[in-house]
Amino acid sequence: MKLAKHLKTGAAVLALGLAATAAQAEEMVFTSWGGQTQDLQKQHWAEPFTAATGIAVAHDGPTDYGKLQVMVESGNVTWDLVDVEADFAAKAGNDGLLEPIDFSIVDRSQLDPRFVTDYSVGSFSYAFVLGYDVNAYQADQPKDWSALFDLEKYPGKRSLYKWSGPGVLEAALLADGVAPEDLYPLDLDRAFAKLDTIKSEIIWWSTGAQSQQLLASGEVSIGQFWCGRVFLLQATGTDVGISWEQNLTSADSLVVPKGSKNKEAAMKFIALATSAEAQASFAVDSGNSPINVNSAALMPAEYAEKLPENFSDLGVDLDLAYWAANRDEIGARWYAWQAE
Amino acid sequence: MALLTLSRSSVGLPGRNLLLTLPALLLVVFFFLLPVAILLSRSVTEPTLGLHNYVELLGSPTYLKIFYNTFLVSSLVTIISLLIGFPVAWALAIMPRGLSSVVFAILLLSMWTNLLARTYAWMVLLQRTGVINKTLMGLGIIDQPLQLVNNLVGVTIGMTYIMVPFIVIPLHGVIRKIDPAILQAAALCGASRWQALRMVLIPLARPGIFSGALMVFVMSLGYFVTPALLGGTANMMLAELIAQFVQSLLNWGMGGAAALVLLSVTMALYILQVRLFGAKG
Repeated sequence: MKLAKHLKTGAAVLALGLAATAAQAEEMVFTSWGGQTQDLQKQHWAEPFTAATGIAVAHDGPTDYGKLQVMVESGNVTWDLVDVEADFAAKAGNDGLLEPIDFSIVDRSQLDPRFVTDYSVGSFSYAFVLGYDVNAYQADQPKDWSALFDLEKYPGKRSLYKWSGPGVLEAALLADGVAPEDLYPLDLDRAFAKLDTIKSEIIWWSTGAQSQQLLASGEVSIGQFWCGRVFLLQATGTDVGISWEQNLTSADSLVVPKGSKNKEAAMKFIALATSAEAQASFAVDSGNSPINVNSAALMPAEYAEKLPENFSDLGVDLDLAYWAANRDEIGARWYAWQAE
Repeated sequence: MALLTLSRSSVGLPGRNLLLTLPALLLVVFFFLLPVAILLSRSVTEPTLGLHNYVELLGSPTYLKIFYNTFLVSSLVTIISLLIGFPVAWALAIMPRGLSSVVFAILLLSMWTNLLARTYAWMVLLQRTGVINKTLMGLGIIDQPLQLVNNLVGVTIGMTYIMVPFIVIPLHGVIRKIDPAILQAAALCGASRWQALRMVLIPLARPGIFSGALMVFVMSLGYFVTPALLGGTANMMLAELIAQFVQSLLNWGMGGAAALVLLSVTMALYILQVRLFGAKG
């Protein structure tokens, strides 16, 4: 914890520079997903930001894309900064729902370019990995996504992320033998046909906490999970394994809804939140990955070596621009397929 | 006495009374009617003008199944909640006062506990590796775990648990006012226990039964958290579908259409109930 404190001080000092222009008691609203993620964002980002700039941060949540859209359309924007999924960030930017990021305040050169657009910067990144119950498959531990679809060798319920988004469809296609470089545009017919083969064995998880509960209790034996959630289970002594083979890296993004009344404060918040120090201390506590390229050097070795970036040679990049363009169409089909 | 109050209120000052209700009326119009009207208007204007959202919604077997699931679960939850809630309400009415306040407090305490926490607790109890399945298997009653969650069984159990107090409270209010001497009179007139229940107690408790059942049924139709966590995607309910349309797909047209269909059916059922039982209730 000493380290976290140290990093926090570093972040605060950095923010002080940004604060020189900040005037009297301002307030901005930061919206995220609630739960542990938002608690840690508050601790590692919002509190040092307020300490450094004097700008109070009110927290709201959970993130709701419908609400964000309505705020922008009605011109009554009460959220100044929102944590969203990267595919939504890319789409919302294209749809004109977001303010452009002010890169004179936010230092673009330090940020992982995969997660930066004109309208969004990464918040934290994570990998979808294959997680499994070590005791269920003593003889032969699963290696890649094909294990998810091999009911004979790896029997048991499997858990996948419930909401439409990058991850599950890619895993189905990779398991079906599609080469990583040929993934996009996604062959949806083929992906859904592959998923049909295990549909009755799927228990969907809709929140990170639920995914942990399902895997830890043995309710499911294998599945696709956020890597940070599996780390947290391992840290509590649960016998769960991770395979990094074909890990799929994605990110959350920070965005400013168009018409925000505290745009400048939000940009300063982004600058602090994406600084090397703030990203490192958040990553240590949350099990996620920093999106600042200089953060890894600031993290203790035992955390740094578990970062998805160490496994990027095994990983497959998700095409967020493809998702931004096709999100609605895929989503409609996804939910209809689930309900069938 | 009843006649007197009735006549007094009907010859009161309607103009002034109406004025006094104006703030409340405005509140209802601005915060309830207007938003609903805007949402519903989007169902016929997005993405283009017309009824295509309704055609898509009512023409798809997938969506029709979601309507079916919603009404099936809501009906089951209402019936089971009544079967559990009626005896509880009756017991509360005839218990010694001290004991009945303890039982009432337990009921209320369950209502005040966080909904999400209660739903997660059911998830842990009902799952294949959960306490219920482990116990039944340990006792040798079953050899394969029962599928109690991620389907409509789980949703029905979880929602019934949440809804029982909403039956007990209005029902208790009605039953408490029934004079026990009436049941004694029934017995004296030769009614069996069953006849006393069926011909005396239930008819007298009817207003409480109907108001409780209607409330539970309507709340169940739009329930979100419990079906989302205890149900599977293959047997989704309507509130979840609406949330998907609006929150995830930003498709306000379809979301509004689904909301209007739900609203119409609910209104129709309400009117039907008033027609059938309103006079007596």
